[in-house]
Amino acid sequence: MKTEKAKEIVIGVITEALESKCEVAGDMQLIGGESLLDSMKLVEVCVLLEDLADDNGFEFDWTSENAMSKSRSMFRNVNALAEEFAKQSNGE
Amino acid sequence: MIIVTGASRGLGKSITERLISNGENVFGLARSTKNLDIESFECDVSNYKSVKNAVREVKKMKLPVNGVINVAGVASMNLAVTTDESTVQKVIQTNLIGTIYCCQLFAPLMLRQKNGVFINFSTIAVPLALKGESVYAASKAGVEGFSRIFAREMADFNIRVNCIAPGPIRTDLLRGITDTQIEKITSQQVIPRQFQKSDVCDLVELLIDEKSSSLSGQVLNVGGV
Repeated sequence: MKTEKAKEIVIGVITEALESKCEVAGDMQLIGGESLLDSMKLVEVCVLLEDLADDNGFEFDWTSENAMSKSRSMFRNVNALAEEFAKQSNGE
Repeated sequence: MIIVTGASRGLGKSITERLISNGENVFGLARSTKNLDIESFECDVSNYKSVKNAVREVKKMKLPVNGVINVAGVASMNLAVTTDESTVQKVIQTNLIGTIYCCQLFAPLMLRQKNGVFINFSTIAVPLALKGESVYAASKAGVEGFSRIFAREMADFNIRVNCIAPGPIRTDLLRGITDTQIEKITSQQVIPRQFQKSDVCDLVELLIDEKSSSLSGQVLNVGGV
């Protein structure tokens, strides 16, 4: 999967979680004080992405050390999450 | 479907049998599934990858997971100063970390449906501070602490998390404990008698039933303290 496609998917899922109340940009933070998602919404996003990954024949692991690492976390913004989703879809 | 860890022996086996007799669809996890005649999968709860594999197996079944009952555990009855390093590691890794792994890795299956129940196992040795059970009780005190907070984290998803803390129940874990020693423990309970596996199964039934929908983050001490 290309990163652009993954970004489209991730933005779609986050928009759904936020009930289309705001526009989702690539640099939008997913964790921390400026995030529009609370921790429970973030979990919902991850579960939805896991389902979409299943549909696309790969496993999306959002509990890895990489996911949780502060500096390299896939949750630091939308682009990072999309990149990780694309990477995992390509078996990287 | 209800998942029971430690389903091949002792309390886990009794709980599995009770649930099956109630018509529940049970999926058993155990280090060895040779003696299990239900749908099951070999899983060492103390091993993260092993639990992940079990989750994958359950996902393949595409059935809603309504409950996870974390019974798998090991006991150690010894003074802290005479407990060897490997036993300390094994008890904490299986009882505490194993429970955490099963909760965190199976939870996403319930988050989807916004419904479910976790039942974790502690011991009455925690509130009674029983001499000779420091390492075991420490692992279970950890389970209680984890469960209380996990219950809060799961509440928004309509998932309940509770603990059952049995006293001395006749299982393999109590090998070598004399009747006198058991009586000494049960005498400290509110109801001073030895309870049976069937009493624990009754509590499991209660906690998975919708009638207990107001209970989460609780520790039910069998016999009372």
